[in-house]
Amino acid sequence: MRRSALVGSMLFALLQATSARAEHPGKSEIEKSGYAGPSTCERCHPGKAKEFLGTVHWKHASRVDNVEHLDPKAEYGMKNRIYTMCNGNDVVNDLKETPKNAAGKSKFTGCNTCHPGNHLSDVGSTGPEAEAAVDCLVCHSTDYDFRQRKPHLDDRGRVVMGQDRSTKAALSIGKPTVKNCMTCHEAAGGGVLVKRGFAFNKDTDAHAAKGMVCVDCHAAKNHKMPTGYDPNNWANDGVRLSCAGCHGEKPHKLAAYNDHTARIACQTCHIPRTGGAVAKDFTVWERGADGYYEPTTLKKEANETAPVYAWYDKTVRNEPHFIGPHGSRKDGKSKLYPFKIYMGKAFYDRKTGQLLSMDFAPPMATGDTRAGVESAARTLGMKNPAQVAKDAVPGWQTIYFGSDHLVTRSKALNCINCHGVNGVLDFKALGYSHAEARKLTNPEIYFKQLVQQQKEEW
Amino acid sequence: MKKPASIMLVVARMLVVALMLVGIAGKASAAETKMVGVITQIEISGKDAKVATATLKDNKTGEAVVITVQDDLTLDKFKDHRIVEGDEIRCKYEAKDGKNVSTYFRKTAGC
Ligand code: HEC
Ligand code: HEC
Ligand code: HEC
Ligand code: HEC
Ligand code: HEC
Ligand code: HEC
Ligand code: HEC
Repeated sequence: MRRSALVGSMLFALLQATSARAEHPGKSEIEKSGYAGPSTCERCHPGKAKEFLGTVHWKHASRVDNVEHLDPKAEYGMKNRIYTMCNGNDVVNDLKETPKNAAGKSKFTGCNTCHPGNHLSDVGSTGPEAEAAVDCLVCHSTDYDFRQRKPHLDDRGRVVMGQDRSTKAALSIGKPTVKNCMTCHEAAGGGVLVKRGFAFNKDTDAHAAKGMVCVDCHAAKNHKMPTGYDPNNWANDGVRLSCAGCHGEKPHKLAAYNDHTARIACQTCHIPRTGGAVAKDFTVWERGADGYYEPTTLKKEANETAPVYAWYDKTVRNEPHFIGPHGSRKDGKSKLYPFKIYMGKAFYDRKTGQLLSMDFAPPMATGDTRAGVESAARTLGMKNPAQVAKDAVPGWQTIYFGSDHLVTRSKALNCINCHGVNGVLDFKALGYSHAEARKLTNPEIYFKQLVQQQKEEW
Repeated sequence: MKKPASIMLVVARMLVVALMLVGIAGKASAAETKMVGVITQIEISGKDAKVATATLKDNKTGEAVVITVQDDLTLDKFKDHRIVEGDEIRCKYEAKDGKNVSTYFRKTAGC
């Protein structure tokens, strides 16, 4: 048995979990007293709300130590990053009402709709008021009424993000389900499965097929959420997870696969497809049937696109026109990883060549994207925002997204997928000499192995 | 005259194959319709419902189309109101037994 002890014990836990979800011990108490927000939970789980305020899910930022050209003392994340999957961020594209469109209507828009606060206590806020504003139930209830989770104006005219704080919702408490996490993760980037393009169900992911949920792998302790090294996921709670963390480096019965894990990431063989948005144009927005404008987007289904393979040493090249992996065949630490390639068109500063950001409210109402650039430049305190917007130059940015879900066993890449003459890897582009590439695409490499397999199968 | 006959046969076979291909392609495009529209009404009966209908107003034609929804993920989104009346939907459906059965039903908007 090569299966690591960790995966074994995990499997045991899974078998247990498939029996009905245990009832939350706090239920009868909440039934009696009702739900008044985090303070109700705090009676039995003291300190949880304050603890949550220190995490990426509240701050949308953290210090980042593996991305070049960043200030090591500053914090980066969706709060303030400027890139082209979302050309806005929580600061410049703060939740607000758009100007009126041609039909005289307005609606609410803003990046911080993906934040579990109420907007009055916003991304990164602290103190007792912020603690009281956390939406515990969006992650912990299986009976959440999403009609409540909508932006609206309060009686003082302030934009508030609604929450379901009903006692009913608080009676169905437990570990977060896939649906809880997908509340935000599915809709990121401007539509269902646009950003990362991964659906998590039994048809698309081997772990989902085994009954696993997000937090079986992203097992948060004290609300610190483990993440990996996706070149475009910068903010982190300082806790990392990996495939090998559960499976070890040599999980296969077949030595031929284990021999590859030193140079080739698990994902490369086990995640042969990717999906989601391929390209977006933020400089030209299209008018929809409802009279509002949206960025022009080219979308693909989960599993519809082939990844690009590159060496990655887990540090990130960060340039105005490129965000992606550093690494090479020769550096002794890089592995080959699969990436989802995305290209976004947006405005660049004529003077500095830096990428500019956009407030979505103006273009959403009128299609005027430069007005969005001007508003963002003003929010950021840039000199002469009107001139910046007028001079801005459209350009493309390429982003390499990590591809870490949609795991398959049956469709994993086999010897011929890579070592065949028309395999998925371009050995020369990956740094192999002509002679090496010839050797790596000769049947000598896989012939014996596959003949053996053929015998076993028939 | 053996040769021409066999050539004829080959041609005839090719024609059959070609016709079949056209048939399949034609059928597939006739059976599956794509549309974008706004939900004007959702009808679903209770928490355990295995089927629901949603009426979409087609953005292009303005016509109301009644869609039958059967997949668990979308039904669940009706039940917890993740999808509500007024949402714009990208939808694919197939005509089956007089019903427009959804094969794809997603909100166009995101964050
Ligand atoms: C009357 C006490 C009480 C109240 C009030 C209460 N809980 Fe609990 N909760 C418990 C106990 C006891 C446990 C089990 C031991 C533990 O994990 O701490 C538990 C467990 C949990 C778990 C772990 C569940 C699992 O399956 O792993 C979560 C999550 C949780 N509570 C969230 C909440 C949230 C959110 C609230 C507020 C809506 C809340 N609790 C209110 C007593 C309470
Ligand atoms: C962004 C989603 C998210 C939000 C919001 C959230 N939690 Fe959690 N919570 C988690 C995750 C993930 C875990 C770990 C689950 C696991 O692995 O068992 C967890 C675990 C818990 C636990 C059990 C383990 C422990 O640390 O004691 C409690 C209790 C809990 N949360 C309470 C709360 C309370 C109270 C709030 C609101 C102040 C809250 N959570 C808000 C995601 C969230
Ligand atoms: C209220 C919306 C929301 C919910 C609910 C939510 N997330 Fe997130 N999550 C975000 C946003 C926004 C980011 C990006 C933060 C950034 O990069 O600044 C993020 C980032 C992450 C990351 C990478 C950064 C990190 O903190 O490690 C992971 C992993 C993650 N989420 C997993 C989960 C899981 C698992 C759940 C369910 C327990 C969940 N999320 C629920 C909004 C949400
Ligand atoms: C089988 C384990 C597993 C499950 C289940 C899982 N993830 Fe992950 N996830 C990972 C691993 C491993 C990484 C990081 C890999 C790396 O960078 O090497 C990751 C990375 C991420 C990231 C960072 C961006 C990225 O794609 O790398 C986010 C966000 C995330 N997961 C969200 C989720 C959500 C939401 C779910 C549930 C729908 C989920 N994950 C289910 C293993 C899992
Ligand atoms: C939290 C631990 C954990 C993490 C992280 C994790 N796995 Fe798994 N994985 C499991 C468990 C548990 C199983 C089910 C084991 C079984 O059925 O024998 C599994 C099964 C698998 C299988 C076999 C599926 C099948 O159909 O038999 C593959 C392949 C796999 N994992 C690859 C990966 C890859 C690639 C990653 C990283 C993206 C990863 N795993 C991350 C725990 C994990
Ligand atoms: C060179 C390609 C390749 C790499 C790299 C690779 N795998 Fe696999 N893996 C496969 C293939 C192909 C199978 C399916 C074998 C079969 O079913 O006969 C497999 C099967 C598995 C299984 C099922 C057990 C078994 O022996 O069939 C697990 C679990 C697994 N891989 C996890 C991982 C993890 C974790 C990593 C990274 C440490 C990894 N794999 C790296 C190709 C690869
Ligand atoms: C994901 C693509 C991929 C798959 C799948 C894969 N290989 Fe490889 N293989 C590589 C790469 C890349 C190298 C070169 C690694 C290095 O630089 O050390 C390699 C190296 C090798 C070598 C060493 C060649 C040498 O002399 O340097 C052998 C032997 C080999 N593979 C056999 C196999 C067999 C047998 C299978 C199927 C069981 C297989 N490979 C599947 C990508 C793959």
